[in-house]
Amino acid sequence: MSDVAHAHGHDDHGHHAHPAGFMRWLTTTNHKDIGSLYLIFALIMLFAAGAMALMIRAELFKPGLQLVHPDFFNQLTTMHGLIMIFGVIMPAFSGFANWQVPLMLGAPDMAFPRMNNWAFWILPVAGVLLMTSFLLPGGAVAGGWTMYPPLYIQGGISYDLTILAVHIMGLSSIMGSINIITTILNMRAPGLTLMKMPLFCWTWLITAYLLIATMPVLAGAVTMLLTDRNFGTHFFNAAGGGDPVMFQHIFWFFAHPEVYILILPAFGIVSQIIPTFARKPLFGYASMVYATASIAILSFIVWAHHMFTVGMPVAAQLFFMFSTMLIAVPTGVKVFNWVATMWRGSMTFETPMLFAIAFVCLFTIGGFSGLVLAIAPVDIQLHDTYYVVAHFHYVLVSGALFSIFAGVYYWLPKWTGHMYNETLGKWHFWLSVIGMNIVFFPMHFLGLAGMPRRIPDYALQFTEFNQIATVGAFIFGFSQLLFLAVVLKTIKGGAKASSKVWEGAEGLEWTVPSPAPYHTFETAPVIK
Amino acid sequence: MSDAAMTDRRGRKYLTAALLALFALALFLFTLFNGLQ
Repeated sequence: MSDVAHAHGHDDHGHHAHPAGFMRWLTTTNHKDIGSLYLIFALIMLFAAGAMALMIRAELFKPGLQLVHPDFFNQLTTMHGLIMIFGVIMPAFSGFANWQVPLMLGAPDMAFPRMNNWAFWILPVAGVLLMTSFLLPGGAVAGGWTMYPPLYIQGGISYDLTILAVHIMGLSSIMGSINIITTILNMRAPGLTLMKMPLFCWTWLITAYLLIATMPVLAGAVTMLLTDRNFGTHFFNAAGGGDPVMFQHIFWFFAHPEVYILILPAFGIVSQIIPTFARKPLFGYASMVYATASIAILSFIVWAHHMFTVGMPVAAQLFFMFSTMLIAVPTGVKVFNWVATMWRGSMTFETPMLFAIAFVCLFTIGGFSGLVLAIAPVDIQLHDTYYVVAHFHYVLVSGALFSIFAGVYYWLPKWTGHMYNETLGKWHFWLSVIGMNIVFFPMHFLGLAGMPRRIPDYALQFTEFNQIATVGAFIFGFSQLLFLAVVLKTIKGGAKASSKVWEGAEGLEWTVPSPAPYHTFETAPVIK
Repeated sequence: MSDAAMTDRRGRKYLTAALLALFALALFLFTLFNGLQ
């Protein structure tokens, strides 16, 4: 990032009369308010979906049926997945984008503040639709987050609610993405060229394009599901001449890029944090941008690796196998650059940096197990086993979720004006990193030994590893209460944070006071 | 970049957004159309 000639951080001069209380939050068009709303929503949903995960792990502590009915178990696994993806990770990253993108670009707000308000406020509606479906006759959806027919054609009323919720969440994502792309392309401060932007903005720009190119596909797929369910069509109903495998193709054409939607902003956050605490500029900035774009482009041509077992020509298997493996190249470039940034840096290990380093190490494990699963003959053996569960939790927990923790610790002082408690932060880190590995590492062995996923009961030989995983899950789950405590404590008070919270931090957001004033950069800063 | 150029770029935000929204809508309809094949 180039030097800032002069930055403008304005106090709230009160030139708008803000409504108070709930109406302030309902009607707000301020990017900081909306960023906070996204983050609060994600935190609430994290605890809801986390509670479901603990119920799943409690049931799996012993073979046999212990605590929940098998159908309710299926509802838990389905809703855990849906909520964690659409209700936690995506809204949390949208929260970061809302807070940070205008601050990083020297823009006064997002390009379309009113649309920004709508994009957020339809999200809780979708959340309520999903959560209340537990109370309906037949319970919540139980057919897996992948929404495959025929289960999703046969289920009860909650399946319609879920389809509606997915439509709403998709609409929210598209509105958010249009806003982010437009803000980045049109609202940058003078002199801030694309190749001078912080990497977080680059990763979100590419993520937003991915969202716009995939969410309508998901919307199309679930619309067809809806008409199959309610209007007598047979898009995916084999009995009527439809093709359930077509749903899988359409779904994964959305859902593989979705994986990168869940991880590219994480790359951006980590790429902001590592240079700060290594006190060195990011190594290979341009290659990071090109690697991110390469990953995004490749993500569109790998979808069928999720469905090798449906049967496809060998040529197709080879194509999807090798194209999947190719993604390791730009991902490797990124990991290399993060390590090279740390190399001979003056490193300190505050909580954000600890989470960022854990991200680099543990996400790489998830990446490697992804490479293992890319090999078609291996995947056919490991498909729908706990190896897959271990793989994607290493990517999404120690990847996406850890980057969210890292980002919250990194920017919380800027958002609240207070420093968080470093000791509690470090406790949260160590309990999370130890707990997370105890939960998910044994799942590799369970999968290799053949334990299928999405079952409430299992054969006796899987008991020990399941018990270890359950103990880890409770350590990991309850340590998140510590995170909640740290966040609440920091919002309430604490040591005053300076404008440049971290010694090695670079960028426009560190030129405004902490907490960031309600209105910032009403006069655009000039970047040299 | 001059102030005029920045104002001009910010003024184009509606065009950018409209093109993106159009693309999303077209992709949605294209997916449905393919389902009908």
